[in-house]
Amino acid sequence: MNPPLFRLSSVSKSFGPVRALRNVSFDLLPGEVHALLGENGAGKSTLIKVITGAHSPDNGRLEFQGNEIRNLTPTNALRLGIACIYQQPALFPSLTVAENIGLRLEAHSPLGKIDWAGRRERTSALLKRIGAKFSPESEVASLSMPEQQLVEIACAVGAGAKLVVMDEPTASLTRSEQELLFTLIRDLKSSGVGIIYISHRLEEIFALADRVTVLRDGESIATRSVREADGNSTLTEAELIQWMVGREVSSIYPPRTGSFGENVLEIQDLHCAESGIAEVSLQIRAGEIFGLAGLVGSGRTELARVLFGITPATQGTVRLGGSPIVVRSPQEAVHQGIAYVPEDRRRHGVILPMAISHNISLAIHKRIFPWSRLRFGKERSLAQSFIQQLGIKTSGPEAPGGSLSGGNQQKVAIARWLATQPRLLILDEPTQGVDVGAKSEIHKIIRELAAQGVAILMISSDLPEVLGMSDRIGVMKGGRLVHTLDGVNTTADEVMRFALGEGAAA
Amino acid sequence: MNRYFRELSVASALLLLLGVLAIWAPHFYQPQPLLSRFTAQSPTLILTIGMTLVMLVRQIDISVGSQFGICAVVAGLLAGKGLPMPLVFLATLTTGTLMGALNGTLVATLGLPSIVVSLATMVTWAEVLRLTQQGRLINLPEGTQWFGLSQVNGQLLILAGAIAFLTFSAWFLKNRAAGRFVYAVGSDAEAARLAGINPKTTTFMVFAVMGALSGLAALINLVQSPQVDPKCGVGLELRAIAAAVVGGVAVSGGRGRLWGTFLGLLLLSTINPALTFLHVEAYWEKAIQGLVILLAVVADGFRSRNQNA
Amino acid sequence: MRSPSKSSIQGLLLRHEVLLLGLLFVEILFFLNNARNFGTPENLSNILRHSAEIGLLALAMMPVVLTGGIDLSVGSTLGLCAVLLGVMTHSWHWATFPAALATIGFGGVAGGINALLITTLRLPPLIVTLGTYSLFRGLAEAITQGSKTYREFEPSFLGLAEQQFAGIPIQGWVLVAGALFFGLLVHSTTFGRSFRAIGYSPEGTRYAGIPVLWRTALPYLLTGFTAGIAALLFTARLRQARADAGSGYELAAITAVVLGGTSIFGGSGTVYGTLTGVAAIALLSNGISRIPAVLQAGIGGELASLLTGALLLIALATPKLLKILQDRKRDQTA
Repeated sequence: MNPPLFRLSSVSKSFGPVRALRNVSFDLLPGEVHALLGENGAGKSTLIKVITGAHSPDNGRLEFQGNEIRNLTPTNALRLGIACIYQQPALFPSLTVAENIGLRLEAHSPLGKIDWAGRRERTSALLKRIGAKFSPESEVASLSMPEQQLVEIACAVGAGAKLVVMDEPTASLTRSEQELLFTLIRDLKSSGVGIIYISHRLEEIFALADRVTVLRDGESIATRSVREADGNSTLTEAELIQWMVGREVSSIYPPRTGSFGENVLEIQDLHCAESGIAEVSLQIRAGEIFGLAGLVGSGRTELARVLFGITPATQGTVRLGGSPIVVRSPQEAVHQGIAYVPEDRRRHGVILPMAISHNISLAIHKRIFPWSRLRFGKERSLAQSFIQQLGIKTSGPEAPGGSLSGGNQQKVAIARWLATQPRLLILDEPTQGVDVGAKSEIHKIIRELAAQGVAILMISSDLPEVLGMSDRIGVMKGGRLVHTLDGVNTTADEVMRFALGEGAAA
Repeated sequence: MNRYFRELSVASALLLLLGVLAIWAPHFYQPQPLLSRFTAQSPTLILTIGMTLVMLVRQIDISVGSQFGICAVVAGLLAGKGLPMPLVFLATLTTGTLMGALNGTLVATLGLPSIVVSLATMVTWAEVLRLTQQGRLINLPEGTQWFGLSQVNGQLLILAGAIAFLTFSAWFLKNRAAGRFVYAVGSDAEAARLAGINPKTTTFMVFAVMGALSGLAALINLVQSPQVDPKCGVGLELRAIAAAVVGGVAVSGGRGRLWGTFLGLLLLSTINPALTFLHVEAYWEKAIQGLVILLAVVADGFRSRNQNA
Repeated sequence: MRSPSKSSIQGLLLRHEVLLLGLLFVEILFFLNNARNFGTPENLSNILRHSAEIGLLALAMMPVVLTGGIDLSVGSTLGLCAVLLGVMTHSWHWATFPAALATIGFGGVAGGINALLITTLRLPPLIVTLGTYSLFRGLAEAITQGSKTYREFEPSFLGLAEQQFAGIPIQGWVLVAGALFFGLLVHSTTFGRSFRAIGYSPEGTRYAGIPVLWRTALPYLLTGFTAGIAALLFTARLRQARADAGSGYELAAITAVVLGGTSIFGGSGTVYGTLTGVAAIALLSNGISRIPAVLQAGIGGELASLLTGALLLIALATPKLLKILQDRKRDQTA
């Protein structure tokens, strides 16, 4: 057996009273893909930061290729050959690709000379090697998110990294981009690079990883091989999930009711030039959950943004409760009874430094504060009732939104829109980045709302969620709604086929 | 072509203005007043180079006018005491660097917003000047003006020196790692940190350099007249910021070039004499400067709007 | 999230407003003992008379900073309004009352220009108001040709600056009205709430269905109107209108707001803190010029401004320094 490329022995790290890592041991072999699993807050990101030198551990031992390393900093981590590809690419938006790669890879003596021609050449070679099609001279700000991720990977490849950490690299990639990435990973692996791979998508871990380590509450719970020598799988998803949450979680979704009212939302031939939405028609009845599936970039979020007035429609009719409406701004959408729980919770869903009660009342100022006068008692009791109803875990309505965990923040975002008593509720990735426990609670809330007669449009990239929750499923591709399926009898394969465009008859 | 859009548009505006002057006020081009006019702008040019650096790291420094004033007075007092010129230069540059380092410490080490920090230091240094000088002019010893050369030679020397310094700075910013650090930190401080660049050190250095350049600018100003006016720095910070903004340096950091700033300063400083030559009263200068700043940002606004659409 | 009781008491003591009140107290004690005639009723009236304009501007600046913006043009707007008042009463021979109303209106127009550029084109407030700072002052200079001074104002208008109502100068009442208006606006209305939300996260506020553009524009508009009112007070107090009226006032107003604990990044702050900031500055400049030694040297104004600048630096740096020291101590014990 090869000696490990990298080894952590009983590493601990605390932030004030919070113990983010407790006695974690972990090792990585050359040419291995080692997956790291855990709920949010389990200590994955702290562990990565220890490995890349961004955090120094309180105690414990780090070894790289058999040698102990002390005082690991980001700079000497890079020098050793440790690279990290973050979810949000850490690039310089206003600079060119060549310069981004140059700044990462070149030695930094402040008075050192910049070899512009060499930079360009090396960048072209790197981009070619990883199959990227943009020019070294393009400004990073003008690239799409997956392209920016490719720049990050080019940096790692160019640095001759021996250890690459990938933090949810597929989160924003389309299917074909994912395939490209997987090929790249296998390529790196075969050249002896060790890869630490973090993802919430279990199927990716089964497809890629050699071993998996599960973290929970800052401790490493288990490290297992994914496959036997004969290639058979030695693990089940259920086992992994149980390790992650520490208890059995029923992946059973709340039961469907199956009784719907009148059409609440009717969309006819909706277009929006700015966001690339075209010819979308659909109806949602009261009490119905309409799941919207599709690849990232297929126009799902864009459709939600059109309905909510952020990028208003350029053509087509929208009827709400039978009467035609025109929505040109979020204010008008709120006024009409449309609510939107956005995808990016931390930027759009909750105002983190503001109190929970202030967050919840933000969309209903007009209704509960006549004459624009704030009524603090009313506001607090409103928040109190939602904290109870949705089971938001907090010290009180005055606590800032940022003090909550991801799942509880999401509940606050939902509470804000429940307070508006909407006729149509649009949920965009309602359980993304939410831990398993809160996820099933949120599912229950959504189902209860539907039972109360709200029409629900739920966008999700989590196929089991779409299949488990939806009464009907719409599949989007290229800004169009390509197919609508029944929610009960559809399989994941069918949805994927339409999302990839193979089953589209039109 | 898009990349040099701003430089090209400022250059065309400048050419247009120069063309108008060539037709309606050809005496603008008489060599001696022209030389004097450009020489008088060289201290501002030096400040503008520093301001470009500061804005590139996504900061702002509105205390440069006051720093300039302090440096001018320090240099004047020391020269008046009969200190040899090299020592005066050294002391002035040190004074400037120290003031810049104070801003740098407060902004980079303590993480305070530069607009408020430099606001506070601007007021503080301006009042120190008023308190100690009470508006008194400082007479300089014979031989200080124009380095003891003839006026024309002195002016040519200053102008050539300022242009050479600009060229050096632009070259350094483009071709030395430290120059790229400035862009990197202004573009994304966190990404810079991950690339092994220390944003705090870079920001601190930029403010310190800004201070040193205030000193240099004050010295270049000193040798142009027989006296030092303690109020000589008032409003210079605005002029430097205006030149940078007009020249295409983004307030959001990491974007802009020194040659753009240079063109911006040329345009701004041609407007005023153009007004006089075209018989528009000089009182309009400040209003027109404000208008040019607004035009430049409005043009930026429309451009980024169209790009997003 | 709630901290244990011991540290919350410490937290309270370290709260900006409490520190500032302490400073105010020290100032008052010091000047009562060292400054000539500091505590007399006449002097109190005097302080109110002199601090009303900057006080009003600071009150108006506070909501602007709360939304994460800044307005560098307030002093220039004041100057332009004062000059326009002079033009209307002197060159156009308007009566004082309609001219005064129009002056306030012009202030609103100036604020409206800032608001329009900042909101519709999404331009950075710092640079926009830097541009209008230059533009408005420049217009004032152009109108007066750099030197003209308007002095022939109606005696009844000038008299306003000297009059008292219920023992308090008119300026004091205007300041009280301003404080009530902005205090209620910021703390007791949905407008204030949305200013805060915008200061924390403009995009997040937009996604909550708040009309972000209008709510961002409002503080700039109000600042413009307030600068118009302050121009009237200024002109009446100095009995003249000139192009340099109110220069440097933007700095004093921002200083008072920041000293008063409003975060320059937006979102948090109180009007009461801003008022305390105004008081600290006003007492300082009045008290210092009444210390006999300073009086003799005739450097009261300069010394007061110098101390204000230094005070601002100390107010900003102290909490950060304390935090750094605390962190270091914790790291050592850990």
